[in-house]
Amino acid sequence: MAHDVVPSSVKIAPPPVELERPALVENNHSIGWISDTVAGVIENKTPGWWKLAISLSLFVSLGLPLGLVYLISTGVGVWGLNHPVAWGWAIVNFVWWIGIGHAGTLISAILFLLRQKWRTSINRASEAMTIFAVMCAGIFPGVHVGRIWFDWWLFPLPNANSIWPQFRSPLLWDVFAVSTYFTVSVLFWYMGLIPDLATMRDRFRKVAGKVTEPAARLRNKIAQFLYGAFSLGWTGSNRHWSNYEKAYLLLAGLSTPLVLSVHSIVSFDFAVSQLPGWHTTIFPPYFVAGAVFGGFAMVMTLMIPLVSLYRLNEIVTIRHLAVMSKVILVTGSIVGYAYGMEFFIAYYGGNPYELYAFKNRAFGDMNWSYWWMISCNVLAPQFFWFKWCRTTPWFIWVICGFVNIGMWMERFVIVVTSLHNDFMPGNWGYYSPTWVDMITYFGTFGFFMTLFLLFCRFLPLIAISEVKGVTAQADPHHPLGGAKH
Amino acid sequence: MNDNLTPTNEQKSGPRYWRSLEHKADSPEFRAFVEKEFPSGVDLIDDPVSRRNFMKIMSASFALAGLGVSGCRRPEHKILPFSKMPENYVHGAPQLYATSMPTRQSAVPLVVKSYDGRPIKIEGNAEHPNSNGGTDQYAQASILSLYDPDRGLNFKLGETDDKGEKSLRVIAKAKVLEELDDLANGKTHVLMEQSSSPSRARLVAGLKAKGVHFYEYEPVDFSVHAEAASIAFGSPVKPTYKFDKAKAILSLDCDFLGTEESAFENISGFAAGRRVNDDDTENPAEVMNRLYSVEGLLSLTGTNADHRLRIPTGSVGRVAALALKEAIEQNDVNAGEIVGELETFVKDLDNDFPKSHAVDGDGEVRTTKWVHECVADLVRLAKRGEKTLVVAGYRQPKEVHLAAMGINAILQNIGETLLLQAHKPSGNGTIQALAAGFKKGDNLVVLGGDPAYNAPADIDWDAIGSKAEKFIRHGFYSVDDTSKRATAFIPAAHYLESWGDARTSDGTLVPVQPLIAPLFGGLTELEVLARIAGAEETDPHKITRATFEAIAGNGDRKWDKFLHDGFLADSAADKVFAEFDISAASAAWKKGAKKVTPPANGDLEVTFFRDHSVDDGRWGNNGWLLETPNPVTRITWDNVLLVSLNTAQELLGSEAKDLLDFEEVDGKEYDKKLGELPGRFGFHSESGRFLQKEYKLTLNGKSVKGAIWLLPGMADNTVGVALGYGRGVGRVGGAAGFNAYDVRTAGEKHFAVGAKLESAGSKYEVACTQEQGVMDGRPVVRECNADDYSTHKDFVKHFDLDSIHHTTHLIKGDDRGYPWEKDQGQDKEFPASPYMKKGDDKGNLGNDKISGPKLMDIERQQWGMVIDLSTCVGCNACVVACQSENNIPIVGKHQVAIGREMSWINIHRYFSGDEHNPQVTYQGVGCQHCEDAPCESVCPVNATVHDEEGLNLMAYNRCVGTRYCSNNCPYKVRRFNYYDYNRRPMGVDDGERKPGKFFNDDNDLNNSPLHPGNKSSNGEWELIRWYKDPSRGSVPGLDDGKKENGEFDPEWDLIKLSKNPNVSVRMRGVMEKCTYCVQRIQSAKIEHKAKVRDTVENLESEEKISTLDVPDGTIVTACEQACPANSITFGDISDPKSEVYRLKRQNRNYSVLGFLDTRPRTTYLAKLRNPNALMPDYFDIPNTVKEYDAKNHGEVFKSKEGKTNGKESKH
Repeated sequence: MAHDVVPSSVKIAPPPVELERPALVENNHSIGWISDTVAGVIENKTPGWWKLAISLSLFVSLGLPLGLVYLISTGVGVWGLNHPVAWGWAIVNFVWWIGIGHAGTLISAILFLLRQKWRTSINRASEAMTIFAVMCAGIFPGVHVGRIWFDWWLFPLPNANSIWPQFRSPLLWDVFAVSTYFTVSVLFWYMGLIPDLATMRDRFRKVAGKVTEPAARLRNKIAQFLYGAFSLGWTGSNRHWSNYEKAYLLLAGLSTPLVLSVHSIVSFDFAVSQLPGWHTTIFPPYFVAGAVFGGFAMVMTLMIPLVSLYRLNEIVTIRHLAVMSKVILVTGSIVGYAYGMEFFIAYYGGNPYELYAFKNRAFGDMNWSYWWMISCNVLAPQFFWFKWCRTTPWFIWVICGFVNIGMWMERFVIVVTSLHNDFMPGNWGYYSPTWVDMITYFGTFGFFMTLFLLFCRFLPLIAISEVKGVTAQADPHHPLGGAKH
Repeated sequence: MNDNLTPTNEQKSGPRYWRSLEHKADSPEFRAFVEKEFPSGVDLIDDPVSRRNFMKIMSASFALAGLGVSGCRRPEHKILPFSKMPENYVHGAPQLYATSMPTRQSAVPLVVKSYDGRPIKIEGNAEHPNSNGGTDQYAQASILSLYDPDRGLNFKLGETDDKGEKSLRVIAKAKVLEELDDLANGKTHVLMEQSSSPSRARLVAGLKAKGVHFYEYEPVDFSVHAEAASIAFGSPVKPTYKFDKAKAILSLDCDFLGTEESAFENISGFAAGRRVNDDDTENPAEVMNRLYSVEGLLSLTGTNADHRLRIPTGSVGRVAALALKEAIEQNDVNAGEIVGELETFVKDLDNDFPKSHAVDGDGEVRTTKWVHECVADLVRLAKRGEKTLVVAGYRQPKEVHLAAMGINAILQNIGETLLLQAHKPSGNGTIQALAAGFKKGDNLVVLGGDPAYNAPADIDWDAIGSKAEKFIRHGFYSVDDTSKRATAFIPAAHYLESWGDARTSDGTLVPVQPLIAPLFGGLTELEVLARIAGAEETDPHKITRATFEAIAGNGDRKWDKFLHDGFLADSAADKVFAEFDISAASAAWKKGAKKVTPPANGDLEVTFFRDHSVDDGRWGNNGWLLETPNPVTRITWDNVLLVSLNTAQELLGSEAKDLLDFEEVDGKEYDKKLGELPGRFGFHSESGRFLQKEYKLTLNGKSVKGAIWLLPGMADNTVGVALGYGRGVGRVGGAAGFNAYDVRTAGEKHFAVGAKLESAGSKYEVACTQEQGVMDGRPVVRECNADDYSTHKDFVKHFDLDSIHHTTHLIKGDDRGYPWEKDQGQDKEFPASPYMKKGDDKGNLGNDKISGPKLMDIERQQWGMVIDLSTCVGCNACVVACQSENNIPIVGKHQVAIGREMSWINIHRYFSGDEHNPQVTYQGVGCQHCEDAPCESVCPVNATVHDEEGLNLMAYNRCVGTRYCSNNCPYKVRRFNYYDYNRRPMGVDDGERKPGKFFNDDNDLNNSPLHPGNKSSNGEWELIRWYKDPSRGSVPGLDDGKKENGEFDPEWDLIKLSKNPNVSVRMRGVMEKCTYCVQRIQSAKIEHKAKVRDTVENLESEEKISTLDVPDGTIVTACEQACPANSITFGDISDPKSEVYRLKRQNRNYSVLGFLDTRPRTTYLAKLRNPNALMPDYFDIPNTVKEYDAKNHGEVFKSKEGKTNGKESKH
């Protein structure tokens, strides 16, 4: 053990105060404390709030099957679509959820490559959020079509008709982009889980002998079996760690372009068309920035209450929140710039149809959505210039709520207001959703929250091994390091 | 005559034509068969309803094989495959029969297409001397009424139940027909609709001799034309109008393009006089006619006018008098003292209507000046020897017609544009005479119509009904107001089930021949009359033939030719050449001319008009017509209270603000002189829908309630009300609109002063298909004044981003021309069409190998279409024709209200300029068949693709319904089946059939599969139902085929029968759109190939190709066929000899949104207006162009010297 070793004669001086970074895990807790704390979420008794929350989520998620069965049995007419607005809430929700699904992979992949160590406390939950958000997103393109039972025609499956999908269609690119993104995200997430699953397996095994109550014994057995099976025989050997690190790096590398590609491709649904308001080259970067923006907001929306309820605020600290607030400020400003640039180009491009589309957004029938969008996405994040604002969890949470709303409004503005007044005035129309649109959308909320709550309850919601890796204790060169505890 | 065209029979046992089958087969056996096969209601009740059973009934529509003909009904036992095919019958091949649709005093000559004995499409008979093959929307839609499930299906007899309530009981046919015995006496009164049938006149004359009293009633009556002409010319004559010959037309409240009788004939004449060909003329202003319109409503005619004076309907007479006075003065005619009378009559015209002509906004009233200049123009033309025409509308009293004829006489139009033909008044009494003369114990027979519903409100039908001993009703519906009062009901046969005859407007005799035996055993009017007469011969076929032989002489060949051609050649009425009798006319004018008080706020004028959809109510249950938007208001499914902007503001005060909702989308950018443009009329604060305030219209102490609607261009203080709604009959249209007959009295049939509008405090949803009424400066419709056209031939190219100065920096040498404009050296930069063939070294043709216009290089014909906006009047015939041809479902009011109408061709109507006196343009928009179709590249499953002939195809079976194609279509012409519209029951509300509840509630369609109360699916989820049996359950008609009262409900079967078998019926979740009637293209190609099969074999490849090409004009799309104006031309644009090619080379040819480079195959010929520069409402540039200029800082006519964008006064 470390304290048996003769101290080196080399004196390691602590860094100058001005260069000293605050510890990522506060209060200089031991490594064991980290395991205990994170695993404790799973091992402890189910908290009351969790039971309440999951009941509520399950209840809300009922809207999803109800809305979908009604939709599928009756026709897309149960939604508020019409001519000319042939895409409505379903596509808005799809893009919104996909956007939310961006933060997780960005945090786990891009921030990993950029050596942003603070990401470790939040990457697990964000990745889970990504996966669940993409699941929610994936529901909509699947069901919004007129004949759902022929969805499989969108996949390039060999079939008797010898008809392939049409590779020029952005909707097909969507199919590939989203499915690839989902697959890689799941792999990445699961990869990262393996050491922690092994930890859980070992912890359950350790206490197995002490459990006497039959029901608890059974639970323990099941836990051991499942964690054991999914940890794929992880022993923590050097070889395992070496392979793990390589694979993690590879997947990070693989995911990084996906983070950029998936929302770029989603934006092609619009940019490739020629509708004024859609036909814009700025869309790919603007969508990606928007996705990161919305994704981080959703991470914080989930993490802030979670951290406080599970008392994890020493692992996910104010500093984490402040950093994420800064990301929101930056991406929000990019989005704001894009809004301005769209307007400028609409004016400068000299195309009256384009100019009208943007004027119509801001001053037309549906201007409420535009001003909601501007207020939530451009104005609200500006609070984060102030330190108090980005270090006060409840305030951040409120702002993030607005950002979530704003990002939904942004998609609504793009999808609906561009469609309802397009080229020929004789075709113009209006759009309003029906209750089916609404229960389906809120149903996905319930579905998402249900999955997320289950995740919190049964999987380590913070990457134990990774967090340990960024503590001072894990750094032999750190004055506090060398695993002295 | 060409025997090949007609099914003939070579067997001796049968006659030559199938039509006389019934006649020939009138043996006891056949009669028994008929009785058995088409039983009256009693049998039907026990008849298990199934598709097969229905098909059995239908199959009988073919003639007996033993009689050797394909025709009306095939007998049941012959439904097995023919061992011997009837002559000229090819299974699946359509057969065409000439017939005609009788109208009030005329008829529409038709050719009807029939598949396997089912009539499925109606077309005009182009062979008829007075027809170009066009029809009106009523004729096009009339076929749907044949398949109307709410028709009277059974013979019924009245009975009184224990509670003393009267109702009709289904009973055997023979029993009901017994009621007709012993009626041929002086106690019988027969009330009929008008008819031009000589057979009916013959039967009526016979019955009159026996003392039977006859009366005629039409709620919308066009007889005033003949009445006035008879006075003016001193002999019984009827005027007909030759609009094609008139250089200038003054319409005095005469909606000759819309609601007058035989409007489609007028449209064709008017369009002919308006058509401009670059090849024929340098200066279109000299070729085009000019239309002046004076009216209170904004009618179709008014919207097409070059100059329009809005004045309340009742005061049109004063304008007519002023015009007459001007004509007299300007021609120095000695008209005697009448001039003085006219002078007093027109005094203070300008003061009485201070706002009637406020174009300038300068406060100057110019009614008098308007009339003066208008008449001066007519006189100028007349002095040059040109012909003009002044017409007065049916709403106007005799005196206005007399004035119009007086002007025509002065301008020497009689015998030129105003033809007179001998006219024998029917001599039947009026409905008032019936009411007055009907005594207790008399018998009443009502043939057709629905007088209890549409007679003037001052006639007490209950009183008449209670006095009647027998009240026999022969009608189309057994549930309408008249039938409910009857003691016996006889179902009427549809005209496609009837034998009969009629005369068209020129007097030509036309046959009415059945394409199908009566589906429900209905009787024709002729048969009922014959039975009343106790005639030996009650078969309408024999009656018709007897009449024919009396007119044209005996002989099978004559009769056969009559039936084959669809008219009797040279049977038009003799022209009468009569002098205008000035003294008689003056006397009549003096006696009758009444100065109508100018309406004022609180003392409004109501104008009743014939509806574009339901006519006087007769098409009230016809879904196609109900869902076809009114051409001017774009409203479907309802009538509304039409008022002008000023009236609304004065009437409603602050409430008007809600109503007006003038959107200032970019309001401030408009030219100030244009004022604020009317955008959406009505407000849509609630989900973008037109929730209109309801108002109570009170007239003569009676009132009706209706939604108010602002219509720019209405005369002030005038309320326009369409007749024919609120009839309460049928599951389709039962709930449509309100009944304006409730406030209409005999004395004031067409307009009445003294009405009040008061808020009813409620709201009513109106389903309007066009929310945005202005083009907003977008050049989708391009216009030019005729006198500028000669100096600005290329004006269409100066619009939008495709205009030269917008795109020169983008594409070198560009003028966005078509490839065939190569000779102008413009196609160098034009990219090759994406689907064109490449040539190869083996000498095969390819666009890159040979010179010449590129599209012509393809070995296939290239389809395209041109729509001439100058001649299109917006009449809707194409819209209904398309619906009929292409199995387009109706979706119901609620679906229309939320923007899901399915019509493949939509007519957009745009207002421009001043909202009090707007200019109006129409544009029919169907799929443009873009060469670079934006819809195709975005479909993920290849469901919409291009073919080598330039068609944008839609593979319904492949469509999954992503709707991306629709989003990416700049023309938004794609239509999506949001529900299984073809399978939805009509009129279901909360699972119960409630007549009159058709689609009015939000929960109609939405509720069907999951709603437990829905009997049509038994509460089963649709997928489960579908899994068990795809054809059961959620379909129109209840599962057991019975209505609640146990009666047979044939809805589902009828819907299926009405479909065109050559066009797929689309299911839910599938996108659809105009196909250029691809089924017609394909069948024409097949026929042509079969025809040239032997010739092409020996030809070399190039010759072969040209021989295989379908000749120009062979393929006629449904819309093109129906268009009475010939505004639509379809054909091969790669064939330099084709008409469509010629039109595409016109200077006026442009593509909408051409700058998108979608290269649409449908292009438009820009609209030409022909205004008179001396008129006070003259605009030197059409308002839409002004809007364009204002919006785009452009000047389309910038080289126009001394002219500005503002309105310019030249006087």
